[in-house]
Amino acid sequence: MSAHNGSTQQLGGAELAVLAARFEGIASKMGNTLLRTGRSGVLNRARDFSCCITTRTGDLLVYAESLPIHVMGADMLTRAMLELHPEIRPGDAFLHNSPYHGNSHSADHVILVPVFDDKDVHRYTMVCKAHQADTGNSIPTTYHAEARDVYEEGSLIFPCVRVQRDGVDIDDIIRMCMMRIRVPEQWHGDYLGMVGAARIGERETLRLAEEAGWDTLDAFDEQWLDYSEGRAAAEIEQLPETDVTAVSIHDPLPGTPPEGIHVRANVRVLPDEGVVEVDLRDNLDNLPSGLNLTESTARGAALVGVYNSLDPSVPKNGGSARRIRVLLREDCITGIPKHPASCSVATTNVADRVANVTQRAMAKVGEGIGMAEFGCFFVGSSAVVSGIDPRTGKPHVNQVFLGATAGAAGPYSDGWLTYLHVGNGGMCHVDSIEVAEHYQPLVVHGRGIAPDTEGAGRRRGAPGLRVDYGPLGEGNLTIAYVSDGENNPSAGVRGGLDSTPSWNKRRGGEIPDERLPQSGLVELAAGQQISSLTQSGGGYGPPTEREPERVQRDVLQGIVTPARAKEVYRVAVSTNGELDLEETARLRA
Amino acid sequence: MSAAGRLRFACDTGGTFTDLVVEDDAGGVEMYKAPTTPADPIDGVLASVALAADAHGLELAEYLGRGDVFIHGTTHAINAILTGNTARTGFLTTAGHPDVLLLREGSRPRAFDHSLEFPEPYVPRALTFEIPGRFDAQGEELSPLDENAVRTAAARLAELEVEAVAVCLLWSIVNPAHERRVGELLAELLPGVPVTLSHELNPSWREYRRASSAAIDASLTPLMNRYLGGLTRRLEEAGFTGRVLCLTSQGGMVDANALARTPIHAVNSGPALAPIAGAHYNGAEEGTTEYAIVADTGGTTYDVSLVRGDTIPWTRETWVGGAYQGHMTGFPSVDVRSIGAGGGSIAWVDDGGVLHIGPQSAGADPGPACYGRGGTHATVTDASLVLGYLDAEYFLGGAIAIDVEKAQAAMRQDVADPLGLELEPAAWSVLDVATESMVQAILAITVNQGIDPARATLIGGGGAAGLNSIYVARRLHCPRLIIPDTGAALSAAGALMSRLTAEHRAVHFTTTADFDPQGTRERIDELAARCQTFLADAGAEGEGAEITFGVEARYENQAWEIPVELGGDPATTTSADDLAERFHQAHRDVFAIDDPNSTIEFVSWWARASADTRGGRAFGSLHEAGADGIETTTRQIYLPDEGLVEARVIPWHSLVVGQRSTGPAIVESPFTTVVLDSASEFERTAAGSLVIRP
Repeated sequence: MSAHNGSTQQLGGAELAVLAARFEGIASKMGNTLLRTGRSGVLNRARDFSCCITTRTGDLLVYAESLPIHVMGADMLTRAMLELHPEIRPGDAFLHNSPYHGNSHSADHVILVPVFDDKDVHRYTMVCKAHQADTGNSIPTTYHAEARDVYEEGSLIFPCVRVQRDGVDIDDIIRMCMMRIRVPEQWHGDYLGMVGAARIGERETLRLAEEAGWDTLDAFDEQWLDYSEGRAAAEIEQLPETDVTAVSIHDPLPGTPPEGIHVRANVRVLPDEGVVEVDLRDNLDNLPSGLNLTESTARGAALVGVYNSLDPSVPKNGGSARRIRVLLREDCITGIPKHPASCSVATTNVADRVANVTQRAMAKVGEGIGMAEFGCFFVGSSAVVSGIDPRTGKPHVNQVFLGATAGAAGPYSDGWLTYLHVGNGGMCHVDSIEVAEHYQPLVVHGRGIAPDTEGAGRRRGAPGLRVDYGPLGEGNLTIAYVSDGENNPSAGVRGGLDSTPSWNKRRGGEIPDERLPQSGLVELAAGQQISSLTQSGGGYGPPTEREPERVQRDVLQGIVTPARAKEVYRVAVSTNGELDLEETARLRA
Repeated sequence: MSAAGRLRFACDTGGTFTDLVVEDDAGGVEMYKAPTTPADPIDGVLASVALAADAHGLELAEYLGRGDVFIHGTTHAINAILTGNTARTGFLTTAGHPDVLLLREGSRPRAFDHSLEFPEPYVPRALTFEIPGRFDAQGEELSPLDENAVRTAAARLAELEVEAVAVCLLWSIVNPAHERRVGELLAELLPGVPVTLSHELNPSWREYRRASSAAIDASLTPLMNRYLGGLTRRLEEAGFTGRVLCLTSQGGMVDANALARTPIHAVNSGPALAPIAGAHYNGAEEGTTEYAIVADTGGTTYDVSLVRGDTIPWTRETWVGGAYQGHMTGFPSVDVRSIGAGGGSIAWVDDGGVLHIGPQSAGADPGPACYGRGGTHATVTDASLVLGYLDAEYFLGGAIAIDVEKAQAAMRQDVADPLGLELEPAAWSVLDVATESMVQAILAITVNQGIDPARATLIGGGGAAGLNSIYVARRLHCPRLIIPDTGAALSAAGALMSRLTAEHRAVHFTTTADFDPQGTRERIDELAARCQTFLADAGAEGEGAEITFGVEARYENQAWEIPVELGGDPATTTSADDLAERFHQAHRDVFAIDDPNSTIEFVSWWARASADTRGGRAFGSLHEAGADGIETTTRQIYLPDEGLVEARVIPWHSLVVGQRSTGPAIVESPFTTVVLDSASEFERTAAGSLVIRP
């Protein structure tokens, strides 16, 4: 079951708890450093980064402050380092972004720092990953959905390349990045933050080993992963044996079949083995598109879908992951990409569909299990905006996070409002209007909840958010986004309803309101605005079972109108929020 | 003790007890505790003073009449927010942006926890009104203010019987014209209803924080006016003729009527004073360390902060009701981190055999199993009792009857049996895991900021601090541990040491690439003038008064500023090189790295006025009334690595100053118990503290 690392020491429950807290403390220190020092908006505002520690064999041990879709692949990153560089030594650091060697997608730069004991034996690896503002793509976005292959995508690929020897930068690599990345200073700031965070993790791990001893830490690794595996197994053993298949459809985009991408997951719950198996092999071959997943995100998304359906206190690491068997195949859009297939958008769109379809299949297992689908990524409110700033005459490029409300309903709570997409775990920040308008030459004309857009249910999905913005003054703005969910909104489960389809429009100026395509680059001239409806989350359970008081609160908060309350939830609430329980009972009879 | 002489009172109303610390002008310090009366907290305040008057055999009026100042700290404001008892408050926002208070700034506490509910906005949408009129980031008017919309909103607010109004318009910090005009209209249309304008209250950028500041402040104004007015009046009626001062979230104090005008500053005043006391006690002993870690142990929380010399740490991000689940005050406050680890935290073993402490707490009711009030879960207090650390006969000075057998039964059932341990080792494991979570809380404010706790003194406050502080200190390699004699009322003691303070802020954006020395200096001079006015109004000019400056800045494209202290010379704010050097240094201090080639962005500037009210007198040591005649005894206790040992139980006051001893021992006072093992060396010092080399 577990890979025995030769330690014989048996740690008690208290010792395990103490050492787990210490390792988590180290990971969280790494995360804090990276968040606060990072430069690109996608890092320091969307918190699109992760910090974790892997064992000598590459198992994920602990993580902190991290994005779920990232952190699940830390084992593959470490194993790529071990395989490609058998001669690693203290002071080494590696830069890795290769989608073909275990990374999530090329826009995520990873720094790996192997940690050694005083006999130069490799013990742990510090892994820091952060989404960059730019990685040298052929167009100014890190999500190039229409790229037919990695060449058209254009990102510089580093298949786990040594970037420090003896703790000193290998300047060749730094210079390559400075020449090929659009905002080189911003990239360099993020690089410093990642290396700083990894080195801090290294220092703290050595300090811990000095106190606890390497043998004790070996024993901890093994027993902590076994404990985590046991927790996951105990959860799964309580589920009924099930074999279900669910399908979620990503909207058609250039490079996909006209009916879109059918993402199929066959989920088998095997309580006797204490295993959940997710089979993603019955899906399309790689497409001439940036939407292909990487091995890391295909497996990671399935893990997220299963973890979202288990008790939140089960530790997410290499131990509990042994109980989630993900079946992938090569040359598959939800599997292992075949070079030179582009995986530019591998962490969001199709990956979100994989996580969503997995948790939706889990919801078929029984009441109180699984979740509805989260809203899809990503409309104009989360676009990469670029152009020339009329205030300074300088070029700018950055991703804005003006709002996303993807929260799906679970069995116990309504969808979390400020959720970027399922793989982000809701960790993202929402841009302050004043901060966004200060940094980018734009004006946000409106941002507010769009009523009656939620996926209704006993527990409802988060409602959609309408965001309108355009260039400041006489300037122009280039907007890049890849929006899913116009044709196929997020699905509700167990009688819960689907969410409202998202959309993007261009308004203002000479032209009447115009529906915009679902992806690509859009130019906004002076006086124009892009107006988007974010995609909301699906509902869980029939809306007619929702507590009338919750419906009343939604009416008062402007999330649901009295008309919809009556029609969909069968609850009588007046415009000023008065609840009529008698009438409600009649409506629900 | 001298019967004449003038007195200074500091009174801290907590959830369970109202602490009073009294200082006389001969340097004597006394401490009293009265039960808090939640329905009428001023009752508890007066009861605590009555206890003190009784101890001196004086009538309340005569005793209070000797007081010069009465410093009050209260949780009244934060309790009102947490229980939803604030005023019915309306919110006016820029048209198109009705959900500023709902969206907040995003994020959430835990990625995979789908039992979390998204929090309600501070002001509901039904009381929110959108006002057309817009400025851009440069302060240029994009659309004019619609005064009719303000009139319509005011009429509706009156109909809805709103008791207070908050106004936050986009970019009011750059151009306040619209917000100011809305304030004028509301004063005219809603006479007598308090209005808070965001740019006046909290001139900082990020509209959510400013809006939240204004909304919280407005909602507290009616209630805090009543409360502080009542306190002043009832103290006067009882015979007090001196000055009533109140504590702020910034660890300073202001006149009660000033706090009534901007009551948001009372919100986090509760834990803000312990660090000030901690800094004092670190400095009062030989072997002062550069840093002191101040840990205050309560019934449900463990509050930690890090002080450097006399410098109290600040945070910009103050939440009421928990990060991402509550509301931001938008103001800096003393940086005190709380974790849910107190005497009431419940110990449990999960399916996989791992021990956890909390986050569930038995609280004060039903309380730990040993209280015998229906609590059946093993808590940290039960563990301390099983280990012999607490005296069942004399718990909280005998105020609560304790059942050791109930504690043992709970410990056996919840911890010892599932872990396959004997009773005492199981109870020790509970304390050990609780100790580790306390250690992690301290590491988060030390190591995470590049500070090695091995260079710091640990100051243990709160009645339960002594139970495991030697283990916390040892695990952190702290060279010494101080348990102050006023430790059980550390916040009230801190209040007596605090200063009159006021802080003013202004947003002025400039960078090292195109630095604007003149504009910066103008803002700084404005801020300095406002500080001068504060000092003059408070009658606090002259010696002991100072004004210092600072800036919040970051590297280009970073999202988060860090504060940079600039000292007292306004000239430092006009040199880009000087500012840059200080910023690089501050960035290195916090994150261990800097980026000397990067442009630095300066965002917001502050000036802080502060004045001493003590006239330079030193803080004395505690006089313990009625403690004579208690003898040293012995008790069996369990210590890790030592097992069951016979420990001396030494009354605090009987320790001879300057005489060193080693454990195993227990040092007890009516308010505190300190556990010392064989490796601990301890002595009572002239300053009154128990100083321990763990």
